Amino acid sequence: MTGASQPVFRRASVLRCLGVLAACTAVLPVRAADWLPVGPDDLRMNSEPKAPAAPAIYLYRQVDRDDNVPDETYYARIKILTDEGRKYGDVEIPFEKNNESIRDIEARTIRPDGSIATFDGTIYEKPILQTRGVKLLAKAFTLPDVQVGSIIEYRYRHRLARGFVFNSHWILSEDLFTRYAKFSLDPYRSFALRFSWPAGLPEGTEPPKTAHGAIRLETHDVPAFVTEEFMPPVDELKQRVDFIYVAGTTVEKDPADFWKKFGKQCYGLARDFTDRPRYVAQTVAQLVAPGDSAELKARKIYARVQQLRNTSYERPKTEQELERDEQKVVKNVEQLWAQGSGDHLQITWTFLALARAAGIEADPVLVAPRNLHFFNPGMMNPADLSAVIVVVKLDGQELYLDPGTPFAPFGMLPWNKTRVAGLRLDKGGGSWVTTPLPAAAQSRIVRKADLHLTANGTLAGKVTVTYTGLEALTRRLEERGEDDTERKQFLEYELQSDVPTGIDVVLTNTPDWSSSEPTLTAVYDLTVPGWAAAAGQRQLLAVGLFGGGEKHTFEHAARIHPLYFSFPYESEDDVTIGLPAGWLVNSVPQPQSVAGSTLRYDMAAEKRNGALHVKRELAFNLSYVEVKYYRPLRDFFRAVRTADEEQVVVAPGRIQAPH
Amino acid sequence: MPAPWFVRSMCSLLTVCNLIGGSVALAADAPSWMHAQVAAPLPAHDEKTTAVLLYSERVLTILPDKQIRRLTRKAFRILRPDGAGRGVVRVDLDGQTRVIGLRAWCIPTAGKDYAVNEKDALESSVIGVENGELMSDIRTRLLRIPATVPGSIVGYEVEEEQKPYVMADEWEFQDTVPVREARYTLQLPSGWAYKTTWLNHAEQAPTATGNNQWQWVVSDVAAARVEQNMPPWRGVTGRMIVALSPPDGQEPGIQSWRQMGEWYLNLTRGRRDASPEIKQKVVALTSSAPTLLAKVQALASFVQNDIRYVAIELGLGGYQPHPAAEVFAHRFGDCKDKVTLLSTMLKEIGVDSYYVIVNTERGSITATTPPNLAFNHAILAIALPGGLEDPTLLARESHPKLGRILFFDPTDSLTPFGRLAGPLQASYGMLVTADGGELVELPHLPAASNAVNRTAALTLDEQGTLRGDVHEVRLGDEAAAERYALRFATQETDQIKPVEAVAAAAFGTFLILKASTVNARLPEQPFEWKYTVEVEGYAKLAGNLLLVRPRVLGSKSSGLLETPEPRQYAIEFEGPESDTDVFEIALPPGYEVDELPPPVSVDDGFASYRSKSELVGRTLRYTRSFAIQDLSVPVSKAEELKQFYRIINDDERNSAVLRRVSP
Repeated sequence: MTGASQPVFRRASVLRCLGVLAACTAVLPVRAADWLPVGPDDLRMNSEPKAPAAPAIYLYRQVDRDDNVPDETYYARIKILTDEGRKYGDVEIPFEKNNESIRDIEARTIRPDGSIATFDGTIYEKPILQTRGVKLLAKAFTLPDVQVGSIIEYRYRHRLARGFVFNSHWILSEDLFTRYAKFSLDPYRSFALRFSWPAGLPEGTEPPKTAHGAIRLETHDVPAFVTEEFMPPVDELKQRVDFIYVAGTTVEKDPADFWKKFGKQCYGLARDFTDRPRYVAQTVAQLVAPGDSAELKARKIYARVQQLRNTSYERPKTEQELERDEQKVVKNVEQLWAQGSGDHLQITWTFLALARAAGIEADPVLVAPRNLHFFNPGMMNPADLSAVIVVVKLDGQELYLDPGTPFAPFGMLPWNKTRVAGLRLDKGGGSWVTTPLPAAAQSRIVRKADLHLTANGTLAGKVTVTYTGLEALTRRLEERGEDDTERKQFLEYELQSDVPTGIDVVLTNTPDWSSSEPTLTAVYDLTVPGWAAAAGQRQLLAVGLFGGGEKHTFEHAARIHPLYFSFPYESEDDVTIGLPAGWLVNSVPQPQSVAGSTLRYDMAAEKRNGALHVKRELAFNLSYVEVKYYRPLRDFFRAVRTADEEQVVVAPGRIQAPH
Repeated sequence: MPAPWFVRSMCSLLTVCNLIGGSVALAADAPSWMHAQVAAPLPAHDEKTTAVLLYSERVLTILPDKQIRRLTRKAFRILRPDGAGRGVVRVDLDGQTRVIGLRAWCIPTAGKDYAVNEKDALESSVIGVENGELMSDIRTRLLRIPATVPGSIVGYEVEEEQKPYVMADEWEFQDTVPVREARYTLQLPSGWAYKTTWLNHAEQAPTATGNNQWQWVVSDVAAARVEQNMPPWRGVTGRMIVALSPPDGQEPGIQSWRQMGEWYLNLTRGRRDASPEIKQKVVALTSSAPTLLAKVQALASFVQNDIRYVAIELGLGGYQPHPAAEVFAHRFGDCKDKVTLLSTMLKEIGVDSYYVIVNTERGSITATTPPNLAFNHAILAIALPGGLEDPTLLARESHPKLGRILFFDPTDSLTPFGRLAGPLQASYGMLVTADGGELVELPHLPAASNAVNRTAALTLDEQGTLRGDVHEVRLGDEAAAERYALRFATQETDQIKPVEAVAAAAFGTFLILKASTVNARLPEQPFEWKYTVEVEGYAKLAGNLLLVRPRVLGSKSSGLLETPEPRQYAIEFEGPESDTDVFEIALPPGYEVDELPPPVSVDDGFASYRSKSELVGRTLRYTRSFAIQDLSVPVSKAEELKQFYRIINDDERNSAVLRRVSP
């Protein structure tokens, strides 16, 4: 269990808590000489069938927290199963020295023969981070005689900062398999507490129960948490119970009521910020013409607002720099406009005000970006709705806009705000909407190559790559704040990654990095040494020149977690290869096509005017894939790789062509 | 605006880091030595250069009680956004060093100077015990300088006092960015003397700048570029080592490797006394061993495997081992602790052994390096008694006084007794004997001791699908690497990943139908993989031709030298290597060989490669050998090595052409 590093509330006087203390004694965990008994089976065991190959497993964990004292006691018993598992004999317990302490550390090693080596060594205080007002340390110690087959156990009491109440968690999915664990929390009585388990509970685990004021949970056979490529955010998968204190003594039970109240509150804040009607009207009059269509007005306002200095996307500054910057606290749209800068939220509110003043129907929408976790309104956590966008109605069609994100094209949201729930604010509190996910065709990479082959198998020529939609936006955002040299290297590296062999590449144009246009174009001089492989006097050219991105996708046969991708996309390669004088295309492979409802691959090679022409298209229309679909997904990419390796045979004209 | 979503769950470390950069505004201007750089011309640089070091200065002063005071000043001009890293001052400390002053400034392109000091700094130690580093007094102090943006000049001044174990200083004047000017000033008390050794740079004469004061200056030092497989940083960058001698009559301190060995021997005095428990364990481990070699191996195996690696290095503990009895009782220790315990146990069976202090990066210490403490590891030299001969004892050398000695690393549980891991081979270490210390070169093992020998018996069908069995036998570091990878496979399904990685590099698509290992937990035996693979579409149909690549698996080529910039430094190999492949592919009925790839034979002295494709009956047989003989290829031969790899690359991609002869 971990406490948040920032207190949520200052506690009421300590005296008020004293009455609670007596009740807490009933939940004190095992202490003193009463280590739990060790069963002979645990001593003998050398593997756990439910966690094969595990280096170690938790035989038992117990966490008991009392927010009234406040403290937390921890008990862990670990079975060492492999050499690698011996590292769990080294223990570090972090704490904040100025406000917390770690006490009553006890530890021991139980050898496979049942004999005990009690820890009597040094407990070190290891600085993790020290600076003005902050002193994060760790109590560090190592257990004696930790061998494969040993059981190690340790326990301690973590005295938390007095005078504050912290949100906390029970982490159920740890890095090691857990055979059995018990948790309890005695909440601080003067505040209401909401608790939830957003990633679910381990199979067979009963939800937490409240009895005599304390919340308890027991769990068994919790698999070790592992990480994989393309997995959803960790918070979506790591099973835990979250405890969140809320102001007051009662908890809102009904999410609908909760969000209604929250929506009203936020609507009021937005109104306060935008409520400068005369000033906004004057400003918008300078931006749009009376005869402009609604869409043109919206586009003009959007473009102008995006020119404001967006402080959310600047490099982090030191306090001294911020002081010199003389940025005033902006309270309304008028102040923001006068200052010419604001953060992403303020810029979005400003667009809202101007759009409305231009007669456009527009509403603010609070959304939960999905890069960190997926929003669940049932959790009733206002912090999840951390971003704001605007929905406008143009010619009867609703369009979602994000003026607070630099380079976001008109009508396109950054990927982490696509297909997410949003609270569309109104006087009554608002209503839930879901933002659209752009189709694959809206985010494309188009590579057009005009190359020639030399007799020694080298390809050389010009390549133009055009990124569209989210492919362009993500690159612009990633490279913001960089200079031309870095951006050139970035794009050259991109092309190097696309080609599955070493290349020489030089960017020859100056891409437009600073606009919100939907495309970003890069032009290169490309040389691919030895792309053609020798086959006696013939040469073989693989058709997948730009298949580098798919070359090593999903190599591993096994999969534990679902797969998660930022956004659907398409790529299209149009490659023309001229041959050395006197050479001919001897044979081309059959066209290849792998099509499904969400994935598509097409490749066709042909002789055209004495040259070789290859067209390759890939469409990836997925964002979330359940584990059961991993195999078909992997099979698709295996088929893509096989097709990319199809060979074109070229040879000097005197060599007999295959027939 | 007062956002209602104020409830934040956690203050991240990053946020804390950003906070520490914040500082109370100081009205201090940058010092004159920094302002002197405003108009300074930039040293030669290319467009990728992120910053230049305009000025650096070190002033070394000897204090009473053989303490030294070191003042370091540096001023950079930031040229590109990526140069922002120069705005974080990093000072590394240990138990012997005290920072008595830390200040930093920024001269922005417009406006007043910024100033920060040590109150704004953040201090941390190595966190996490992933590598067994439980506790050490090594600390890092970080200070963030405001406005580190292109155009700014940022600089800092650090003053430290140190009580060094060795009266010497090392002035590193080269950087990863060009240096315009670097100065070193030495201020000695009366009667003291110095001796300088220049490494990787032409020696510069000092100028007398005062009473017992000398100054060295270097200018326009080119940037040292970080390259793949380059020698260690210490082995290539310009530096001056200054050895300091007190006046006659005073304890001279460490002036030679012999004296450094004596110093180390003193540190270990009494640490190798056997406790009754150790004596008892030695008897238990060796009583049933039939030969002296078996007894030595039993003790080595115990220390290598049963003593857990845990480092607790405080103060002198960074160099001084814990007593053997303590290490044995707790069953944990670091490299020097393990060496100490094994040496103690060996003594109990009448075998002498000696500390060897090394650096795990070959080239950090060379035959000409003056005495210094640039070591990071300890191994053992075991004196082999007469008659103790065995072909498995490869890591041995003859010593003029000690006779045959075997080098052994009890910390490396994946390298068996008798061998030495590649990075330690041909490296220099300090052998500590009763006579003091001496620099010795560690053995360079035969290339065949580190090998991947792969054979495959495969069948190709008419559709181009390849199926069959592959057998890999790995020796030396190649075996250790595989065992290391499997050690971290904590899920059963991850065990196959090493095979999948090899197959994925060779085939666009494949299925591993079954796979098993042999001797995975027996480091003294070769490591073996046996697996069955199926590769659909391996051979490509082109009309009546079938195109098949004889080199089925594994790559010996490398893109290491395929870089736009010319190579700057020598190319270092981790160890010697000698690999072989034999791939036999039974041809599909109805096809005959039309053309085979030509044989390849290259021997550049430092490495060799030979391959041959031939038809043996109805089987296409591909054989090749690849060997690395030299552990370092000088930069003058980089182009040869590049061509060597290109020849291999071409050979690996060559195809045989089969022609259909019957319908």
